[in-house]
Amino acid sequence: MPGRRWITTIISLGHAAQTFLITINSKVQHYHLFPKSLGDVLTTYKVKELHLSQTQGLWKHEKWGYPPEDAPPGDELWVWFQPHSGVDQTWADLVNALSGLFCASLNFMDSKSTVQPRWSFRPAGLASEFYSANSRFVRYSTLPREVVCTENLTPWKKLLPCGSKIGLASLLNSVKIYDGFYHSLGVHVRSVCQDTQCLTPATELKQTLTVVYDPTTNKNGKQDWSFQSMFDRTLQSQCPLADTRKIYVDVTTQETLPKFSLSPVPDFVLNQKRSGEERKIAVYQIGNHLSPSSLNLKAMYEEKLTFSNSSLPPVYANRFVTGYGLERGGVTCMIYNTMSSNTTVIFMETVPWFLRVYFSSLRIENDGKEIKPYKINFIPAKDRANPYQMELVFRLFANSVTKITYSFERAFLKWTEYPPDANHGFYVSSAVVSTVLPVASQYTATSQSVSLLEESFSDSSSSFFLRLHTETLLVSLPTPDFSMPYNVICLACTVVAIAFGSLHNLTTRDFTASDPSKRKGLVAKLKSFFKKEKESPENKPDSKEEEIPSQKDKDNSKSEEKDSKKKDGNSET
Amino acid sequence: MVLPTAISFVCGVILRLALFRSSLPDWLSTKTEVVTPLTSWGRAMEGLALHREGISPYSGDIFHESPLMLKILGFISRFSPNTINLIFVLLDIIQGMILLRIANTFGRHMLLRQATSVKNYHPDAKKNLLRKEDLMDLQFYVTVAFSFNPYSIATCLARSTAVFNNIILLLALYQMLKGNSFLSAVFVALAAYISMYPIILCVPVAVHYFLMSRKGGMHYTDPTAVVSYLQILGVTFVSLAIMLLFSMLFVGSWEFIPSTYGFILGVPDLTPNLGLFWYFFTEMFEHFRTFFICVFQINVVIYTIPLAIRLREHPTFLFYMLLYTIGIFKSYPGYGDVGLMFALLPLWKHVYQYMRNTFVTVCMFLVCTVFAPIQYYLWIYAGSANANFYFAISLAFSTAQILMATDLLFGFLKREFYLHNGDKHKLPDGTDAQIILDS
Repeated sequence: MPGRRWITTIISLGHAAQTFLITINSKVQHYHLFPKSLGDVLTTYKVKELHLSQTQGLWKHEKWGYPPEDAPPGDELWVWFQPHSGVDQTWADLVNALSGLFCASLNFMDSKSTVQPRWSFRPAGLASEFYSANSRFVRYSTLPREVVCTENLTPWKKLLPCGSKIGLASLLNSVKIYDGFYHSLGVHVRSVCQDTQCLTPATELKQTLTVVYDPTTNKNGKQDWSFQSMFDRTLQSQCPLADTRKIYVDVTTQETLPKFSLSPVPDFVLNQKRSGEERKIAVYQIGNHLSPSSLNLKAMYEEKLTFSNSSLPPVYANRFVTGYGLERGGVTCMIYNTMSSNTTVIFMETVPWFLRVYFSSLRIENDGKEIKPYKINFIPAKDRANPYQMELVFRLFANSVTKITYSFERAFLKWTEYPPDANHGFYVSSAVVSTVLPVASQYTATSQSVSLLEESFSDSSSSFFLRLHTETLLVSLPTPDFSMPYNVICLACTVVAIAFGSLHNLTTRDFTASDPSKRKGLVAKLKSFFKKEKESPENKPDSKEEEIPSQKDKDNSKSEEKDSKKKDGNSET
Repeated sequence: MVLPTAISFVCGVILRLALFRSSLPDWLSTKTEVVTPLTSWGRAMEGLALHREGISPYSGDIFHESPLMLKILGFISRFSPNTINLIFVLLDIIQGMILLRIANTFGRHMLLRQATSVKNYHPDAKKNLLRKEDLMDLQFYVTVAFSFNPYSIATCLARSTAVFNNIILLLALYQMLKGNSFLSAVFVALAAYISMYPIILCVPVAVHYFLMSRKGGMHYTDPTAVVSYLQILGVTFVSLAIMLLFSMLFVGSWEFIPSTYGFILGVPDLTPNLGLFWYFFTEMFEHFRTFFICVFQINVVIYTIPLAIRLREHPTFLFYMLLYTIGIFKSYPGYGDVGLMFALLPLWKHVYQYMRNTFVTVCMFLVCTVFAPIQYYLWIYAGSANANFYFAISLAFSTAQILMATDLLFGFLKREFYLHNGDKHKLPDGTDAQIILDS
């Protein structure tokens, strides 16, 4: 049952977030609506669950709350495989296939940046307890340097059943989307129950696109927005293959400041209650609004934008690099808990091998006091083979800031291992903070047990799974001089040759006493060499009586050249 | 001579204790000239932290000490930082005591050898012979050379684990001079277990053993001689095998071998140091990397054979020359090796007058020692220099060490020539002849 929804949330004063959610549920290998290209890849590489996100920009949790799907800057891919042997090879083949499918450099997700998280990335769909506790079949990798552009939006749109010509997807104007602060493409495949009896599993494909705009620019400070202003298009058709075609606008703040009104008037307004948090959602059935003309949803504000403090989300995090110089440094991550209750978090970090993390320097502090984590999973890196993997489970105290610090040393790479712009630096992936919130404040994701957004409007659960990604880091490494390979080889070999030559001389030759006047300069030696060839039978008895002439030692040859030139004639007779 | 020796020894200890109180140890333990990935105390602590957590220190690429060192360092690290500093000063005291004994025994050993071979000397050479009075103050000079040697002090302050390597090498030399060749071979095996290259030192020990037990005019290639060489080699390799077996039992698997010996041989870590390997292999084309690794590793050990043949009558000097070749050409050299060379240099002070390049060599050492941290700082912290500056210093330092080694060998061989042939060489017409190296 495919469904398409559109959520608009004013996430903070001055910014508008649009999320475009498409969910397709289909039976295994039934390609009526499920894209065959993706389905083929999933079956060939025995994939049980796949989560790919491609993001440009950073989601500001403390200002904007929580997005429906949290994603780190760059590309993130985590996959749960069906149990089989040789998962490493399957992973390598899968990332190559996906890189072709999504036009992204996913093939760089090799063993140098892939980890197997033990606690942070449990299956999001159906899975047995035994299977999900075993981290042998999961692989997680990120590419923080990756840039997302139109080339990635096009294959994403191609996976939609109606394509990009009709329906909500026709609004996606790539010029306007990539003008925004933040945009995130997501493809999430998981197993769900087909019906309430759950006898056979179905594969669910969820595609998400989250865009954050700033509508106040060019509008005289008023944050009016409309489809025309955001996408340069209006909605003119609806996808006949979709079961549910709805647009949701979050109107919780419509009556309080800032006041705004929607046009056309929504069909009805829902109340969403989630563990004490109430939200009002205006619902539009697309079919009712397409005739006589296209749908151009507008929000008009009465007054200009005034900035004020927004409420902070329950848990958010910041991470940054500390230290100076190119030899060593440190990483500090601050996790803020603004709730009045303690909560347990799982903190996962993946650090590339060339930043040598010192496990002995890892500290977790809260208000100056050291916290001992419940569990630590630290896998040190092997040079050029796998990265550092760190997973910590510890408690966040209420209304406090917890600081995680560790120090690292920067390695010196081979000259071929630097990227083209070596002084730009190297990226370190986001840290992942996973926790379970007791309150759903600013929480907009669908709950894990349901597929459609509406089903989470009447959510009566009391715990909400949250995953946060922090900022990526940019770290410079000391660089060699890239123009010098030949010079370096020559100079180093020269020093070795100095030693070799001297030791060779000293060990293969003996000291002898010789007449300095009998020694010849270079020119004289050459002359005598040619003359000897002509006169050899005559000179033989003479040469035996002479002192042994030196042949090779040129130490004093230059100083004696003048003398020997004078005595040349004498010495040759 | 006892009082000045004692005073200089005590002054050296007090100097180290005083410097431990300053900020110098923390600064020195970050200096790449002093500590290398193999000998760094920080890395040793990291390996121990992983070991305590239940993660094998050899599963990562930070810790590269052998399992025996893991145990010893684990024992040391349990104390407070001040006690650890005292332990390192104590290790330096032990080193100083062994050097004293070596100086003592060396003097006696040289006089004995001289007495047996004086019949081969030229009659004119009497004034060049060593006398007991000259050898009495060897202890003083060796103590001064060790106590006030900036390289040894830096190694001690930085808490580099090269001190253990140095102690074992000095014990091997001491036992060799005392005549316990088998015990010396065991110490050589222990040094090889820790840092691999000293295995070549079993050659001077074998030659010395043969010379000690030589009867009559036995030649070096006689079957009995070969048997004695094989005895020493056998003792060395058997002890090494036993140590490796114990390490395997301690760690539980053979995984420490790629992390220790594989690391020394394969040079994957290109951290800057005062050696020739790091920048050479940074700028090496991948295609040729294995070839040049083999060439450079062979270069470390190849000088054993020609030096052993040339210095077959003088195994102690051969031992010392091999210490030079190891210290210059090893994959991760540091000031620990240089300090050892300087500490043993006064033993051959009778050779100094025949050396030719002392001024140049001393100047090069001074300049490189001062410039190295400056260029490193400019490259890494100030950003106003680049890697070439530090590379130039490392080349100049290696050249200075090579010049010192070859000059010393030259002086030694020249002295031998003068002893055997007298120092007055006249030509038929009465003018002075020239002594040159010739084939």
